[in-house]
Amino acid sequence: MAFYRGEEGSVKFDDAGSSAAAITSTRSWTMTVEKEALESTALGATYRANVGGLISGSGSVELLYTASSGDETNVFIEAANTATDAGGALFELYLDTSGSKKISFDGVITGASYTASVGEVEVVTCNFVTNGAITLDI
Amino acid sequence: MAALNLNTVRSTIEGRLKTELDSSPAIPVVFHNMPYTPTPGTSWCQCSVGFSSSEYLTMGDSSSSSNNLTGLVSISIYSAKGVGPGDNLTIGKRVRDLYNRITVSGVHFDPPIGPEVMAAPQPEGYFLTQVRCTFEVFEDL
Repeated sequence: MAFYRGEEGSVKFDDAGSSAAAITSTRSWTMTVEKEALESTALGATYRANVGGLISGSGSVELLYTASSGDETNVFIEAANTATDAGGALFELYLDTSGSKKISFDGVITGASYTASVGEVEVVTCNFVTNGAITLDI
Repeated sequence: MAALNLNTVRSTIEGRLKTELDSSPAIPVVFHNMPYTPTPGTSWCQCSVGFSSSEYLTMGDSSSSSNNLTGLVSISIYSAKGVGPGDNLTIGKRVRDLYNRITVSGVHFDPPIGPEVMAAPQPEGYFLTQVRCTFEVFEDL
């Protein structure tokens, strides 16, 4: 049975939404895909019924600060502070090193947390939400 | 990008100590796994550099990834017995100042421990203290 370890993962990003480039020094990523549950219980029914509703996704990427500039990593960690965002940025979250197992979507970076703590490497955590379809190639 | 050269790290740490203790007033220093016969009643130092745990820093396989490696440099300071700790602590300050929260050639030193008085020195006949300092190095593969 094939198992995967976290270090096999990676993140690519392109704010222009076309050709995603690797985000350097990524330490972890998370992604949650949620589907709303819409109740469809009939009057007088004994058991509650639900049907699926709208699908959305959200998550975070944690990376080490490396003072990179002029690349997508720099754009990524500053994206939360941009004035306008049409939600067209391309995200690709990889599960393996071959590049064949990934979650891709357009999205918006909704927040960034910059952390400096004595004796530890400096960390940036960016949170995102999806915009439109989520493609699971896993 | 390459795996860490441990001898480069060791050389950085030892070289810093050697340069300092060669300056006036010079104190003999001996490094790990080297023979040395001390002169009774005189001060001298012994330095050992050890590497310990490595941890993942970033995602990635054996290329385009980073680890951190931690280690410990221990400097034993031998000085004359029965004359108080003053001379020993003077050397201890020189040693401590060498590494205290300093980053040199990619080696990040934490705040040092000591000079801490050690019991039962080997060889006998000396007053012994020890300065220890953990360090961290980042490895880019």
